[in-house]
Amino acid sequence: MFDIEREIRDTRINLCLDCGKCTVVCPVAQHDPDFNPRLIAQRRLGQNSNISQDDTIWSCLSCYMCTERCNYHVRFPEFIHALRFEALEEGAQLQCAHGGTLQAAMHMMARGDLHQDRLGWLPHDVELSEQCDTIFFVGCAPYFDVLFSDLGVNTLDGIKGALRLLNRAQIPFNILANERCCGRDLLLQGDREGFLALARANMEEFARHNVRKIITSCPEGHYTLKVDYPRILGSTGIEVVHLTEVIAPLLRSGELNLGRLEKRVTYHDPCTLGRCSRIFDEPRQILEAMEGLELVEMEQNREKSLCCGASPWVHCGVVNREIQQQRLAQAEATKADVMVTACPKCQIHLKCAQKSGDVNVSQVEIQDLAYLAGRSLD
Amino acid sequence: MSNSEANIVVFACNWGGLSSVEAAAQARLSYPASVKVVRVSCLSRLHQGLMLKAFELGADGVMLLGCEPGKCQFDTDTGLITQEYDKARNLMRLLGLREERLQLAYVPRGDGSDFVGRVTSFVTEIEHMKPAVSGGA
Repeated sequence: MFDIEREIRDTRINLCLDCGKCTVVCPVAQHDPDFNPRLIAQRRLGQNSNISQDDTIWSCLSCYMCTERCNYHVRFPEFIHALRFEALEEGAQLQCAHGGTLQAAMHMMARGDLHQDRLGWLPHDVELSEQCDTIFFVGCAPYFDVLFSDLGVNTLDGIKGALRLLNRAQIPFNILANERCCGRDLLLQGDREGFLALARANMEEFARHNVRKIITSCPEGHYTLKVDYPRILGSTGIEVVHLTEVIAPLLRSGELNLGRLEKRVTYHDPCTLGRCSRIFDEPRQILEAMEGLELVEMEQNREKSLCCGASPWVHCGVVNREIQQQRLAQAEATKADVMVTACPKCQIHLKCAQKSGDVNVSQVEIQDLAYLAGRSLD
Repeated sequence: MSNSEANIVVFACNWGGLSSVEAAAQARLSYPASVKVVRVSCLSRLHQGLMLKAFELGADGVMLLGCEPGKCQFDTDTGLITQEYDKARNLMRLLGLREERLQLAYVPRGDGSDFVGRVTSFVTEIEHMKPAVSGGA
């Protein structure tokens, strides 16, 4: 099913000019001299390639900063995903973060006879339309809030905010009790079999409920359902939109109004929502629609936004921590009261850095975009 | 002792837990052969990832066998295991696995019959829940 040589060609890696611009902008390369995208490409494309022995392939964050800068638009992160698949096939071992909990949960979620109990958090005042062919894809937030409870992570608050926004905008939707993780993390870490199992299980669930449209607030779920599922499984016939793409136009037209929030905030563009899905303006429009809110930008923003420092739950270490601290310092420099992000994983990784005990790490408040917008409705 | 098909993994702490498993062996006490004992240095070594991994690989039940509270070999029992145990059970509930499939048990050091009694009743309890390691129980 996977033609790795063709995939590698499709990433345009053969157009690499050896210019090194990717390495200059790569956040990992700035902290880890052993990580060099250009040299990884040379090693793989040269003679005697032994990719399972190349530990550096696990350090890439899939932040797409290199692709943004590359004159030939080489899709280096996808090249890395293919190499990881090859390495796992050759017997390489993953260095899972969090004791492999997320990988175990994702593999168990792929089982056909699964009956999850994942909606216990759903507020009673949220209105669901059970026969509706539009669903809100919750993603892994219920799992994150259990697993990262000691970090003070509240990703479900973001989901509740999103649901309140949709209710207020009178957009009908249903929620599936047995949706699975989208599988993006398994895809990024090279576990294609695991990804396919989750993707097929989700597609069966969508078909069973005649789903025609999916709204989600998770940037990774959005990109995976919208781009990766059709690319790998073939056309899904389902329209996938991000919450901000639904809400921002209603705010512009005046059909929906948000409340007040007297805060100075800065917005952290999640890599997948920004550089992958090119959604930069809508989150900012939502923030600016809150009266009293002052939006300030960090030194690196929009297309140049710095990654939160960790990616698909593998290979997390000191380099990741340094990137997180760098990003938090950028937020601190804006003198913002709140750092807003639209991605649950960004929130987890940045809060993890804040809990490291290092007194030099900024303790700026981190909140979810949909949570703040939803709360302003009260 | 009847044969059981319930796949049980016991993570036993090297001190309290394992000493009772060994005492059971020395006293020739028997328990179902489907129980697999994995020795760990201390239950605090166990991450919820390892507990879930056992279920992912097909365990029907997982027992964590440790020292009685306040009797940790390493003096400073941090309560880490109860934190990880609670998280694992909450994750299991989300996954539709009955949380009773994971059990934390404290046994007195060297008490083989206590261990055998606990593990045997755990096996019986799990057998009543079958089928279902993969959810739906």
